Amino acid sequence: MVMKSSVEDDDVGWGLGVPEKMRNNANWVDVTHEFKGACKELNLGELLHDKFRFGLFEAMSAIEMMDPKMDAGMIGNQVNRKVLNFEQAVKDGAIRVRDLSLPELIGIMDTCFCCLITWLEGHSLAQTVFTCLYVHNPDLIEDPALKAFTLGILKVCDIAREKVNKAAVFEEEDFQAMTYGFKMANNVTDLRVTGMLKDVEDELQRKVKSTRSRQGEQRDPEVELEHQQCLALFSRIKFTRLLLTALIAFTKKETSSVSEAQKLMQQAADLLPALRSSIEHGIQSQNDTTKGDHPIMMGFEPLVNQRLLPPTFPRYAKIIKREEMVNYFSKLIDRIKTVCEVINTTNLHGILDFFCEFSEQSPCVLSRSLLQTTFLIDNKKVFGTQPMQDMIKDALRYFVSPPVLSSKCCLYNNHQAKDYIDSFVAHCSRPFCSLIQIHGHNRARQRDKLGHILEEFATLQDEAEKVDAALHSLLMKLEPQRQHLACLGTWVLYHNLRIMIQYLLSGFELELYSMHEYYYIYWYLSEFLYAWLMSTLSRADSSQMAEERLLEEQQKGRSSKKIKKKKKGQGARPLSREITMSQAYQNMCAGMYKTMIALDMDGKVRKPQFELDSEQVRYEHRFAPFNSVVTPPPVHYVQFKEMSDLKKYSPPPQSADLYMAASKHFQQAKLILENVPSPDPEVNRILKVAKPNIVVMKLLAGGHKKETKVLPEFDFSTHKYFPVVKII
Amino acid sequence: MATMIEENGPSTHGQGELSSYSSRGRQKLESLLNKNMRIRMTDGRTLVGLFLCTDRDCNVILGSAQEFLKSSDSFSQGEPRVLGLAMIPGHHVVSIEVESDSLVGTQGFGSSQ
Repeated sequence: MVMKSSVEDDDVGWGLGVPEKMRNNANWVDVTHEFKGACKELNLGELLHDKFRFGLFEAMSAIEMMDPKMDAGMIGNQVNRKVLNFEQAVKDGAIRVRDLSLPELIGIMDTCFCCLITWLEGHSLAQTVFTCLYVHNPDLIEDPALKAFTLGILKVCDIAREKVNKAAVFEEEDFQAMTYGFKMANNVTDLRVTGMLKDVEDELQRKVKSTRSRQGEQRDPEVELEHQQCLALFSRIKFTRLLLTALIAFTKKETSSVSEAQKLMQQAADLLPALRSSIEHGIQSQNDTTKGDHPIMMGFEPLVNQRLLPPTFPRYAKIIKREEMVNYFSKLIDRIKTVCEVINTTNLHGILDFFCEFSEQSPCVLSRSLLQTTFLIDNKKVFGTQPMQDMIKDALRYFVSPPVLSSKCCLYNNHQAKDYIDSFVAHCSRPFCSLIQIHGHNRARQRDKLGHILEEFATLQDEAEKVDAALHSLLMKLEPQRQHLACLGTWVLYHNLRIMIQYLLSGFELELYSMHEYYYIYWYLSEFLYAWLMSTLSRADSSQMAEERLLEEQQKGRSSKKIKKKKKGQGARPLSREITMSQAYQNMCAGMYKTMIALDMDGKVRKPQFELDSEQVRYEHRFAPFNSVVTPPPVHYVQFKEMSDLKKYSPPPQSADLYMAASKHFQQAKLILENVPSPDPEVNRILKVAKPNIVVMKLLAGGHKKETKVLPEFDFSTHKYFPVVKII
Repeated sequence: MATMIEENGPSTHGQGELSSYSSRGRQKLESLLNKNMRIRMTDGRTLVGLFLCTDRDCNVILGSAQEFLKSSDSFSQGEPRVLGLAMIPGHHVVSIEVESDSLVGTQGFGSSQ
């Protein structure tokens, strides 16, 4: 480390540093002393600069030298040893390309796996996988196992990169797509690489068998060790092959290849215990101070690519530990297996829910990308088979059963009606594809993008209403007893509201709101968005019922027996569960709203000293994206204040009344949720919040700890959107 | 002359501007602006670039900077690395050089050598 040395100590030997051409080209004159002296004359905080060409703003974007976080070149220079590239290292005998021992191979492979994972977690290839010198040029490797392995790793990287790029659901914090001109084994085909891996695998399996213990045989500890090591290597090679083959399966266009990938991932998962138990058979890295805190490992040089990094903001890539490697793989495999499940979901709403649920686990960029590319193959057809337009028509039928899409309606074969609905559905295609793509982004970016897509849905809403009106007037002429009112509009509005709700709720998950903001967020949700959502859902429901009744009547004329049986057996309405859940959510939000108002009355909410802003400024900022939406119209701050004014009640409620009311809302939510048939984890999570809140609100209503000025705590650990209120 | 001026509040700012005319040091530094400069840093690297900005602590900003390594390093034979806009903290500045051609017409600098 020479960072801190001062001018005085280092006065000698500096002349050697600069390349000759720089020295000769110009006459350099040393001005160090005068320069430093002149600087001292400047005032504290004063910048001496060109008044026209350079200012503080430009100064801010300069990279700071000798700052470990910004100066990529610095770390390389701290090392007092030679940094060799692959060819040099082989020539110098620093690393071998043949006669590698089993422990060496196991160690190198495990470190490679760790590098691969670190790359997938958002670091650059240059600082992760390509710190392994062997992958720089597999052609030079003579050891067949290592050669096949490095080619396999390169192929895995290449396919993963291609998938992530294609899905385009990453931002710079998720993934580094740069390859720095490295060759990703492009001169060999995928098939050749899997073939090589399989050959090595078979060879190793023979060795594993030949060293296996036989009955009654005295076990030679050396043979036993070799057996263990061969098994370890075998598992690693096989794991690489399975991972690669699964990724290749994802690149195929047939849906069947997705279930094939799922099977391969299961086989890979079965190898993980063997991988975990044999980590210690590999050579371990040594910590050497000459490499900073980079561990030394044969075949790896953390600094070999240091000069390739871009001049700004290098990131320090901390390679994950081998112990964490197997855990990561196991979770990755689980995620990829989940992704494969998506092909079993057939309707658009189900797929949207699938994407939402998958995203809630904050999955890695690779699994997110695989989900995207599985859903829309080459951006044309869902799962490569079904056109997006058909999916949308199905979703419409399922949600509002619009007459225009019913084969029993005269509009179904009407030329003009067909044109209307087809062009509407075609226009829906893009916003819905974007919506699904948004759910592939990381959680923080999703929120931002949801805010923007509202504009597109507002346009769609407008069009839906117009098409509804046109279809209605057509229908009135042909079948005066039927209506086509607000069918498509209801459906678009439903999605609009879902996006708005998700936008607001995700603010809790991302911890964006301050405590004093909770009350208007929960107000907006309970009094406004959920109220709208429920009326939208019930309108869809009655639209479905009207359509069903009509069908029944039409068919009664023909054969009355068949239909009766069918109708009787039908129990719950298709949308009933969603209506129930919305009621529960609305009650939770209303409970939280009243809780916050009451806490504020008791002086238990800390409010900021508004100096440069006001509550109105914050309120407007929070709901700004809703301004592009026409239906529902945005509630402006003044309106909100009027609508939520407690003085309009006489007598105005006191905090105790509000606590009581909040408790009732939580109670109501609990009742609703307890009656949900086959409750899912989400239902149970909300119940876990509702129950303690019922009790706490009752206690507060009774005046418990009314005098304490200690602020309450909001514990979001049980549910992302609804906290358990804790009074200390 | 530059008297001790407190933090750069709005009232003192004008004063700083004014006094810059009376300071010889300022004039010297201003004459170097947009000139090629070579700075050696405490870790042995050398940066060459256009002198754009400095302050009392001798923090220097170079534009279109290029980084050259110590000759002992195995990579120094390679091309310089382009850094762009780079700030060198004053306490890491070992030496500062300017191209002599660019000194023509500037007072004070280099004349003592």
